[in-house]
Amino acid sequence: MSELPQRQTDIGPPHYEQFLHPVIKKNYGKWKYHEILTPGSMVHVSDTGDKIYTVRVASPRLLSTDTLRVMADIAAKHCDGYLRFTTRNNVEFFVDAESKLAPLMSELKAKGFMIGGIGPGISNIVHTQGWVHCHSAATDASGLVKVIMDELHEYFTEKQLANRVRIAVACCVNMCGAVHCSDIALVGVHKTPPRIDDTNVKNSCEIPSTIASCPTSAISPDPAKKSVKIKLEKCMYCGNCYSVCPAMPIADPINDGIAIVVGGKVANLRSAPMFSKLAIPWLPNNPPRWPEVTNAVKQILNAYIAGAKKHERVGEWIKRIGWEKFFQEANLEFKIQHVDDFTFARETFRTTAAFKWTT
Amino acid sequence: MDKEELKKVIYDLVEASTGKKKLKQTDILKKVSADKGIEKDEVKAALRELVDAGTLIFTYFGGSYIEIPPKA
Amino acid sequence: MSKKYQTPLLDELKKGAFPSFVTEIEKAAEHSDMAADLLGLVELSYKERMTHWKHGGIVGVRGYGGGVIGRYSDIPEKFPGVAHFHTVRINSPSGFFYTSDAIRQVCDIWDKYGSGLTNMHGSTGDLVLLGTKTEHLESIFAEFSSRGWDLGGSGSAMRTPSCCVGKARCEWANIDTMAITNDITQHFQDEMHRPAFPYKFKFKTAGCAVDCIASIARADMSIIGTWKGDIQIDQAEVKNYKGKIDIQAEVIGMCPTGCMKMSGDQLVIDNSNCSRCMHCLARMPKALRPGKERGATLLMGSKAPIVTGALMSWVIVPFIKMEPPYEEFYELIGKIWEWWDENGKNRERIGELIERVGFPRFLKDLDIKPHPAMVKEPRRDPFFFWSEEDIVR
Ligand code: HEM
Ligand code: HEM
Ligand code: HEM
Ligand code: HEM
Ligand code: SF4
Ligand code: SF4
Ligand code: SF4
Ligand code: SF4
Repeated sequence: MSELPQRQTDIGPPHYEQFLHPVIKKNYGKWKYHEILTPGSMVHVSDTGDKIYTVRVASPRLLSTDTLRVMADIAAKHCDGYLRFTTRNNVEFFVDAESKLAPLMSELKAKGFMIGGIGPGISNIVHTQGWVHCHSAATDASGLVKVIMDELHEYFTEKQLANRVRIAVACCVNMCGAVHCSDIALVGVHKTPPRIDDTNVKNSCEIPSTIASCPTSAISPDPAKKSVKIKLEKCMYCGNCYSVCPAMPIADPINDGIAIVVGGKVANLRSAPMFSKLAIPWLPNNPPRWPEVTNAVKQILNAYIAGAKKHERVGEWIKRIGWEKFFQEANLEFKIQHVDDFTFARETFRTTAAFKWTT
Repeated sequence: MDKEELKKVIYDLVEASTGKKKLKQTDILKKVSADKGIEKDEVKAALRELVDAGTLIFTYFGGSYIEIPPKA
Repeated sequence: MSKKYQTPLLDELKKGAFPSFVTEIEKAAEHSDMAADLLGLVELSYKERMTHWKHGGIVGVRGYGGGVIGRYSDIPEKFPGVAHFHTVRINSPSGFFYTSDAIRQVCDIWDKYGSGLTNMHGSTGDLVLLGTKTEHLESIFAEFSSRGWDLGGSGSAMRTPSCCVGKARCEWANIDTMAITNDITQHFQDEMHRPAFPYKFKFKTAGCAVDCIASIARADMSIIGTWKGDIQIDQAEVKNYKGKIDIQAEVIGMCPTGCMKMSGDQLVIDNSNCSRCMHCLARMPKALRPGKERGATLLMGSKAPIVTGALMSWVIVPFIKMEPPYEEFYELIGKIWEWWDENGKNRERIGELIERVGFPRFLKDLDIKPHPAMVKEPRRDPFFFWSEEDIVR
């Protein structure tokens, strides 16, 4: 083994200042306004008169070091070696003069990057690990992102909407991907509880920690079999027990599927942040291109496009027209699963005789 | 309390609990500081030495626990 | 290198306009057996429609209780390259700014010890290195930490704090989000690396109520920049917006509090009724700027729906100055963590704990004065508890 350098602990991340473009460093806290130039570029103007131009490109989030090196090379060539990533998995390149924009953008295009994601359109999709890296996944995340963005990429690169439509994908109900406040979000759902393989539980699992792993206390010991049992009415199919005990697999290719929730937002603009609410309880897991899911997303998006007023987010549009009307406009069936029986259920019952007639 | 002695107390506590109940860092701090009438910070410093040396380790099962490392 | 596996299903995902993750894995597979086997494994998942990962084993670096997530394939005999495929969370710099050299440095180390695959970034904000073997973990840690990088948080610990771009490139930032995030991260290194909490704790900092980092939805402590005093109006710029946008319909008409109007060609705002929602500032960035006294609103408690339903953060401190050395803030955090440690159950997030014992109890125990900003509306019932000092004996 070759010599390793001396490890250090508790040093924290590198200080951000060393990574700031000189114009950004100089004008830190002095920005006056910004203008969106194209859906993929914007300029920020400082009180000092300085300007910084940003070009944004999409990434699949899952990036090889090869692609990262290409990005680093482009930043070195055009941007004095500075770049940034956004929370929505986009990559931003900076230049300090308008004349440098065109060469940067044409090189990015030539290298196959998709420029866009700024302004009232569809930015990149926030998502989780899925089959690429997670044991709880009820569906893949990267694949869903790819097929949805393949369909909607024009809203990334050029087409505008009434306001931003934020899309998110979480591959199971743990929702590492923060889908609960998105305009349109897909969540992988299991429909069936874990299957207990008693022999393997006995041999390979620690029973107390398996029981403790269940957030709803659905698991209890089964002393006769030296295994565990699950109280079915308590199980919410979260897969936590499988994390701790591999002899309790939950994945079920036929019954696992995808739910769609809509109308959430986190920004405070105009109206308070909102949770996303259930639009479609289950669609089949149909890789590699999930046609049922992409069609449903387009159907919801098209209803929004047809109905929303300028600057209305999906949730604001639905609030204005009413959820009963939303189901009609988006041509979605209202099913028993739409009626809440979870923690905050009573707040969702309609306590007024005034509502709209829909078919 | 002597630090080596304190480390032994902590180790014994974790050992006694192995296979019964997983202990979190805070369980150990609370128990030892109450039993021995010493500050939690003192217990924490001793526990940290045990972990830095690899005598005890952090494990994760939905939550984080302190355990004796598995025999390799 | 010729292709190790046939992947007809994944090949379908190389088609289409959007950048493909399959192409990325293939690139890495050119120089990494791990990535090559990952392709095979994911193809199988696509075919069988189920995952092939499992937990198991305990992984990490000496002295730390987090920063590495153990991952194993459930069919290692078929895909030995991904028998271990652990994730390393590297604490990202505030605001996700990098230099080309920093990116290359990360790539060099990762190509040496890992699959060559990354996530830029994980949803919590870590620079995620996807896929390495147990025996490389200490080497990876030594290579990174000796060059000034450290691991992020995982487990029942403080998670890697993150923030919006803030003052670095946004005119609306009321607070220095990147400085605050860096300071919190450095201040709580022990809380991050040696899990001591009942469960995870996340800080996210946004410069204004647009909340580009989604702090209100996914942080136990959401720090959101705001201001006191009048919105600063540049009337000449207001005039310039005329003709470009419909000020009456798009700005005044959409103000949720109805506190704006035109008086002649002057825009007038009744600031005492403004809720600082940011809509008008976002519509007319050249004409409107926040008021002059800057600070933050602290909100607490958001979490995902597991187990008792999703929570969004709610107001606990309507206004706080967030300026170094952040003494008042750290004192509050200290008190909150102590209270959580005393009262929280294992795996109980702070928001769930407050729900369980009641928000009034939290306010009393922490000696925080109730304020109407903390609630949307007062309670609807007279079922409240009185304490001894409220009673005349
Ligand atoms: C109203 C509900 C919710 C909203 C509005 C919301 C919104 C968001 C947004 C905007 C993000 C960040 C997106 C980005 O990175 O740009 C996010 C992240 C996240 N959300 Fe949600 N979300 C909601 C509910 C939930 C629920 C119910 C869960 C879990 C069950 C959840 C789990 C997460 C996770 C795990 C992350 C990212 C992980 C992290 O950084 O902590 N969210 N959410
Ligand atoms: C009981 C609930 C949860 C469980 C069992 C769980 C489990 C996991 C697991 C196993 C991973 C690893 C995925 C991988 O292989 O890389 C993961 C990743 C992650 N989780 Fe969770 N999670 C839970 C809830 C949450 C919540 C509520 C959040 C955030 C609010 C969250 C945020 C994250 C983030 C940010 C990642 C990193 C992966 C990514 O960026 O996509 N998790 N979680
Ligand atoms: C009218 C409303 C909004 C305006 C004017 C606005 C403005 C902006 C601006 C100027 C940026 C770029 C900041 C920078 O990096 O320099 C930005 C980024 C961002 N915004 Fe917003 N925003 C709005 C609404 C939202 C909403 C509702 C969300 C989330 C639900 C959101 C999430 C984000 C995120 C995640 C970024 C990071 C960059 C990215 O998307 O790639 N924004 N926003
Ligand atoms: C412990 C609490 C309460 C007690 C002991 C109480 C008792 C009563 C009594 C004795 C009546 C008169 C019945 C009659 O007409 O003979 C009444 C009527 C009524 N109460 Fe209450 N009540 C309580 C709480 C509430 C609350 C919290 C609400 C509403 C939020 C409420 C709403 C009403 C209404 C709407 C009526 C009917 C008034 C009408 O006839 O127009 N009550 N209540
Ligand atoms: S959302 Fe579920 S399946 Fe996806 S990465 Fe998180 S825990 Fe894993
Ligand atoms: S799937 Fe989740 S709720 Fe169901 S038994 Fe397992 S841990 Fe409990
Ligand atoms: S949260 Fe506010 S300050 Fe921060 S980047 Fe977004 S708009 Fe700017
Ligand atoms: S910030 Fe919001 S509430 Fe205040 S004046 Fe502007 S639009 Fe109205």
